Amino acid sequence: MSQPDIKNDIGAVSPAEPLLPVEKKLIGWSLGIGITLLIALIAINHFVPIKL
Amino acid sequence: MSDIAIKASEPIALKARLNEDWLAVVIGLLVYAAALVSISGTDLLGWAVMTSVYTDLAKALAPVAKAYAWLGGGGALLATYAALLVLLSAGVAALGAGVRKFAVAFTVVFAIAYASWIAGSYAYVAAVTPAEQQKFGIGWSLKLTNEGGFIVALLSGLVIANVFPRFAAWLKEAIRPELYIKVAIVILGATVAVTAAGRLNLASSLLLRGAAAIVEAYLIYWAVVYYVARKWFGFSREWSVPLASGISICGVAAAIATGGAIRARPAVPVLVSSLVVVFAVVEVLILPFLAQTFLWQEPLVAGAWIGLAIKTDGAAVAGGGITESLVMAKAAAEGIRYQPGWIIATTTTVKIFIDIFIGVWAFILGYIWTNHIDRGPDRAKPIEIWQRFPKFILGFILVFAVSLWLAVGSTPEIAKALPTAAGEANVFRVIFFILTFFSIGVLSDFRKLWQQGFGKLAAVYFVSLFGFVIWVGLLISWLFFSGFKPPLAS
Repeated sequence: MSQPDIKNDIGAVSPAEPLLPVEKKLIGWSLGIGITLLIALIAINHFVPIKL
Repeated sequence: MSDIAIKASEPIALKARLNEDWLAVVIGLLVYAAALVSISGTDLLGWAVMTSVYTDLAKALAPVAKAYAWLGGGGALLATYAALLVLLSAGVAALGAGVRKFAVAFTVVFAIAYASWIAGSYAYVAAVTPAEQQKFGIGWSLKLTNEGGFIVALLSGLVIANVFPRFAAWLKEAIRPELYIKVAIVILGATVAVTAAGRLNLASSLLLRGAAAIVEAYLIYWAVVYYVARKWFGFSREWSVPLASGISICGVAAAIATGGAIRARPAVPVLVSSLVVVFAVVEVLILPFLAQTFLWQEPLVAGAWIGLAIKTDGAAVAGGGITESLVMAKAAAEGIRYQPGWIIATTTTVKIFIDIFIGVWAFILGYIWTNHIDRGPDRAKPIEIWQRFPKFILGFILVFAVSLWLAVGSTPEIAKALPTAAGEANVFRVIFFILTFFSIGVLSDFRKLWQQGFGKLAAVYFVSLFGFVIWVGLLISWLFFSGFKPPLAS
């Protein structure tokens, strides 16, 4: 990849690549699972506090 | 962070990088094993040089063990340099690189980096408490502790990269921050274990909180940054995946692993890595001081926050080291003396937990891309998880496990001698940290990156980092670590 290619590549917006349903699913499931797990871990953290 | 960060047009040598991982394990284990021999009464590493805070330069350097005092500071420095030169030259030869070029460049790198460390130990830079200032007969100091030398090393590298780029290019054979920090992390396992053995409950609690870091980096940061890159900035998938991985997980390893998983052109993740390195440098210069100012009363929150916010292994762990020294300095000035090691242990634990899953995440993305987005004849294979696993973590775990066993599962005599052995190994951990900081600086050629049109990539990073990553990291760190302090020093 030459330097001008990189510049054009970074500068270009990609209307030809809209978000596909599978990408939306990936984002949605990641966030959903992530937030759920975080809430669970926060609960565990509450019941199993750090021991000194 | 990577020694390939500015070589935009070169292909990614994944195989060589894996070899570098194993090399770090071998070097780290050699240092650790040599240090352990001291438990038997034979001190193999006592000649290693260590630097004290000073006003008289002649008193700055000394061998770490009194048994080697006859060597003097200069002799210890030369012995340390010679040992590292031989060890690393052998390692570089194993990687197939030019030993002569490396040896010459390493000599200069070591000289500048260690000189930076010595400069950082000058009392006007390093002295922390009023008692220390009185001891050295000075009226003021920057209160950076002697670990302010890390910042001096980083700044030295930055000056070379941006003012003397030809000199920086000449040094490149020895500019290997990825190797240096991995060796340091393997050795760090001993210090963390000795620290953990003193407070097993707190140590196990830290491990539990590492799970939150994994969830945050892979499932929340990644998804948001990918969305921002794709939707707000219009980047293609090929750019967005390494960008999201670099900003969310780990600058180089994750960007390259996930870039490879989706079959991105090799230069794309390498360029993204360069960007992450630059931002990591800026973060290391800013975040520890913010942590000192706003989080000094919550040391473990500060440590976890650094691990979650700085996205390269070297910069994160090194940033944890600076944060520890700054926070402890501030606390000491207020009359609170914490045991050292807990803040950097928190940072390291958080970062290592995040790193462990790079291979798994690359496999998941590879599976989705090859089956749903970019269907071709190749399919992601489970073996790729192992191929992309950062092997140096195995070295850290081994050193940690052996040290922990020696500390709590062996004889009282061995347990008593272990901290001294770990301390000698730690001297080398510090030196590898110094080399890492200097190398990161030398790789950060801001002008070159700007010329390559990095403004838009930097905008994604800036928006994600300051609009999201730092604050969510702070929130999570606060939720999991607030209210819990390191043990007080006796």
